Amino acid sequence: MNIRKLRRRKLLFFVSVLLGFFVLVFFVRNLLVSALLAFVGFYLITPLVDLLERRGMPRITSVLVPFVTLTAVFFLATQWLLPSFVSQFGSLKGDLPRYLEKAQRLSVEIEAQAGHFLPPETAARLTAQVEERLLLWAHRIFEGLPNYVSDSLTVLFLAPFLCFFMLLDGRSLVRQLLAIVPNHYFELVMNLQHEISFQMGGFIRARLLESLIVGVLVAAGLMIMDFKYALVLALFAAVLNLIPYVGPVIGALPAYLLAFLGGATSGEFLALTVIYGGAQVIDAALILPILVAKIVNLHPVTVVLSIMIGSQLMGVLGMIISIPVTSALKVTLSALYQHLTQFRDEI
Amino acid sequence: MMVPLWENIFRSDRRAKTLEAALRGNLLFRDLTAREIRLVQQIVNVRTYAPGEPVFQQGEIGVGMYIIVQGSVDVTTEEHARANQAPQNQFITRLSNGDFFGEIALVEEAGRRTATVTAREESVLIGFFKPDLMEIVNRNPGAGVKILLGLSKVLGTRLAETTAMIRSLKLNDRIEA
Repeated sequence: MNIRKLRRRKLLFFVSVLLGFFVLVFFVRNLLVSALLAFVGFYLITPLVDLLERRGMPRITSVLVPFVTLTAVFFLATQWLLPSFVSQFGSLKGDLPRYLEKAQRLSVEIEAQAGHFLPPETAARLTAQVEERLLLWAHRIFEGLPNYVSDSLTVLFLAPFLCFFMLLDGRSLVRQLLAIVPNHYFELVMNLQHEISFQMGGFIRARLLESLIVGVLVAAGLMIMDFKYALVLALFAAVLNLIPYVGPVIGALPAYLLAFLGGATSGEFLALTVIYGGAQVIDAALILPILVAKIVNLHPVTVVLSIMIGSQLMGVLGMIISIPVTSALKVTLSALYQHLTQFRDEI
Repeated sequence: MMVPLWENIFRSDRRAKTLEAALRGNLLFRDLTAREIRLVQQIVNVRTYAPGEPVFQQGEIGVGMYIIVQGSVDVTTEEHARANQAPQNQFITRLSNGDFFGEIALVEEAGRRTATVTAREESVLIGFFKPDLMEIVNRNPGAGVKILLGLSKVLGTRLAETTAMIRSLKLNDRIEA
């Protein structure tokens, strides 16, 4: 068969398979999240796998050793932390009506104060709206919990499964995909793929390490302070820390809100500020300079826009993954631009 | 038409053996062990070119080298006789089975191709690029060192050849003067 004809057939076949895969990922429940988490796992574990392979282990063993070890560590950590986490979450659920009642009382007080400045109907509407929002928010979180748990369990099994095969066969899959790239663009695409993969790996590892350190510092600080729900709040701060600029602020808000509703002293507020501020200062002063080269900086306007689009498309999950996705797009587009302007530039 | 399974297996085996032989015959991979060659085989890219199809063009950024497994290629350059004149193609050489080209791109940072290489007939080439070299260095540093040593030898030989050529040109100039 003619080479060009064969190439066209191969290209058509692979493009169809790729399209089918994307349709599957976007329309099958939990598959997108699992695939994204598998990618994160892939970039986290790859340096370990390469290290073991460098020591002379076969690829399969190099993948299995860190995979089994990390799975064991994860389950041990879960067993150790889960009871405290569940009890803190349960206690928060139990305390919530009390906090809501206090928030309602507070809004009535604010309404009374604001009544002097606002027309009566506006003030009444404001209180009703605040009450409605608070109840809806609390209802959504706790009613949706069983769904979150069942989704999380599916993801918990599917993501490692996908990650394992990405580590084992990912390279040959990428090679097979590269094989269908037309000769004229091959060097360009191959170099681009390598650059994007390198930068994404650095970005994901840096961001997660940063969040882990912030989470551990907040958890340690809150536990020393003997603050209620320390683990839940630290997890929230760590996850929100993935969002630049606004994330650390939103991550600290629940602790201040709970302290305020719980009638905390000014000393306790100061301690909270030292913990959350300290974690950010340590992050900015010690961790960021080491990792800064690996973190893709996004303009604040881009961050806010990405979060808004993410929340519109996929809710809370969309807000969290919007920044890594935008950063990946930025890396891809800037690498593509650089290549397209330099690669074919004549001397 | 259905292709018999056995024929397929033997064909892929034959292809692997051809690849292995092509790699073994190359100065860069000559000192590698059988296991290291297998790793390289998994990493390199096998590309097929139609007659007249360019492998790369002068002025493009190069990211790696090619080894000819089957077929032949023509190396040409575009020369400007005068600044305002249209460029003219100049034939440099013809390369065939076992020859390799473009290896300087493996060590250059965004270096540009100094010539155009075009397939003369239906040709199969092994592409070995900077990311492939980095992957080998990362996964098997011993093999990486051997390849880099082989590359240094090749570049050293090319430099010695170029120096000798410049010396002879200068000598010719002096004699003519």
